[in-house]
Amino acid sequence: MRGVLGHFKELDSAVDAITELKTARLGDVTVFTPTPRHEFEHALQPPRSPVRKYMLFGGLAGCVFGFWIPIWASNYWPLVVGGKAIGSWIPYTIFGFEVFVLIGALSTVAGLFIHAGIPRLTMMVGYDPRFSRGDYGIWVECPPDRFASAEALLRKHGAVEVRGER
Amino acid sequence: MATIAYEPRRPNISSANVQLPAVRDYEQVDEDIIATLRPTKAWFLMLMTAVACLALGVSAFLYQLHQGLGVAGYNPPVMWGVYIITFVFWVGIGHAGTLISAILYLFRAGFRTTIYRCAEAMTVFAVMTAGLFPIIHLGRPWKFFWLIPYPNWRLLWPQFKSPLVWDVFAISTYLTISTTFLFVGLIPDIAVLRDRETNPVRKRILAFLSFGWRNTEREWRHFARAYLFLAAVSTPLVLSVHSVVSFDFAMAITPGWHTTIFPPYFVAGAIFSGIGMVFTIIIPIRKWFRLQHYVTINHLDAAAKLCLTTSMIVGCAYLIEFFIAWYGGVQVEQDYFWNRVFGQWWWAAWIMLTCNMILPLSLFSQKLRRNPAWLWILSIFINIGMWFERFVIVVPSLSHEFEPWQWTTYSPTWVDYSILLGSFGWFFMWFLLFVRQLPVVAISETKEIVPPRVRHAHVHTPEDAEDFEPQTGRAH
Repeated sequence: MRGVLGHFKELDSAVDAITELKTARLGDVTVFTPTPRHEFEHALQPPRSPVRKYMLFGGLAGCVFGFWIPIWASNYWPLVVGGKAIGSWIPYTIFGFEVFVLIGALSTVAGLFIHAGIPRLTMMVGYDPRFSRGDYGIWVECPPDRFASAEALLRKHGAVEVRGER
Repeated sequence: MATIAYEPRRPNISSANVQLPAVRDYEQVDEDIIATLRPTKAWFLMLMTAVACLALGVSAFLYQLHQGLGVAGYNPPVMWGVYIITFVFWVGIGHAGTLISAILYLFRAGFRTTIYRCAEAMTVFAVMTAGLFPIIHLGRPWKFFWLIPYPNWRLLWPQFKSPLVWDVFAISTYLTISTTFLFVGLIPDIAVLRDRETNPVRKRILAFLSFGWRNTEREWRHFARAYLFLAAVSTPLVLSVHSVVSFDFAMAITPGWHTTIFPPYFVAGAIFSGIGMVFTIIIPIRKWFRLQHYVTINHLDAAAKLCLTTSMIVGCAYLIEFFIAWYGGVQVEQDYFWNRVFGQWWWAAWIMLTCNMILPLSLFSQKLRRNPAWLWILSIFINIGMWFERFVIVVPSLSHEFEPWQWTTYSPTWVDYSILLGSFGWFFMWFLLFVRQLPVVAISETKEIVPPRVRHAHVHTPEDAEDFEPQTGRAH
């Protein structure tokens, strides 16, 4: 990966830099932040997270499975009691609901892992431990001929440290 | 013209301020919370005490395993006793954790931020404790897996219409989801620990557990969405789990059990008892770890209001039970309730009513709500009261059923008490190990309520709402 990493101390400086980077179209921008900030989301305008779909489809699959298991088992070994229904959906709603929650939640976590790109074995180029502490980082992925422009832009907005990664 | 909103001298009673004025910046959050991970002599002492209690409980269980269930205090027809009471007690304790971490998250209740991690961990360890008791209660505990539907050569399946099988599904789902919720929330905080760790072995372990988290905006975006949905499904799960536990009783025709009020009554009681346990744990933690400027008096005040509300719901349920027994006109039910409050079990019922209904009314006083010492003492009463609530539900019903030959008594033995004590040892052992390995206050979420460092300080005014620029999220 080639690019330039800018290290910022202040939130508004980083947001200003992102806004201008998006306008200048110097390259893909990745932001490092110690805590989620809506300011970055507004500046980057990323697409909506698809994690919710994992919840929906995982949950529905779980619900169907949760109903199917007791209905199948009841019909497989029928216990006829007082003429009552063998596959009784009312108590089986508990299984439908519990397995809906179980599979839906686990699918959501799977969606998080897939889209956030974790687990990862190696840290990406340019990651700095200070980004989990209190500082902000902006990684601009660009070819070497744009390094100077990206560096100048980051410094203009108050980056305390800028370095190129080739 | 910008105006500065000054802190009121006295907190606003109706909406306590949950900001952290004594926390300057993100670096301080890291330092203060990571400082809680250093072991102390007091911590070792408490851990040893917890392990000793656990050892006593394990010894008693091994003795019971060797001798049979007869060494417990069961006295037919009272064949549910301390183990089932303690099972319901610990499941209930677990509920406040999910309430605080999930339900209050959905409601954007700010006071949850610094206490939810503690409550979540408490949930996981409480459900781990609860899950042991139905197994301890079995005559042949090694057959517990018969309740799990799995393909087997005898082609046998569990009875899916039995509340006991519903319980298995509800509790195992709850444990899995609570653990997942806790762990997902911990990932960014483990990354913070990883980046500060100097010991190479520990750093490698933390790097593994943090899954290579890098704090990118993309990770946070998906994380926030996943966390929201986990909170959204955990919310009905909380309500369902204790409802299902209540079905263990309500599905039987036993006097005092066969009632439709049990699900909401159990859920409210569970949340009430859980908040009691949160106070029992968080108040010493904030003092010993010097976290008073994170878990502030305002946070405790807000949690105390929640405690008072749930206490009143529980109290209302107690009174409705008496009313329905009278209004329903069923002689057996009326006799049972009379026996519960004025007869054989009066002492247990009055411990319950005093601890759960009367003493929490003190929280109407703002002075007492803001007094950590009183809140801690009250929490002990609530824990005792809620254990006795379950005692009052289980034992008086079974000892006073329909016919006089069923009227008997029940007294636990040293085996019951030892296993009960052992459960506290088991719970606190895990909790103490947790507080020394992982942050007991959520680092990243706490940073969210600390103002970020900015180059151009900006003060919010009502006019900002009109000047807000959605593209940048900043005012002009």
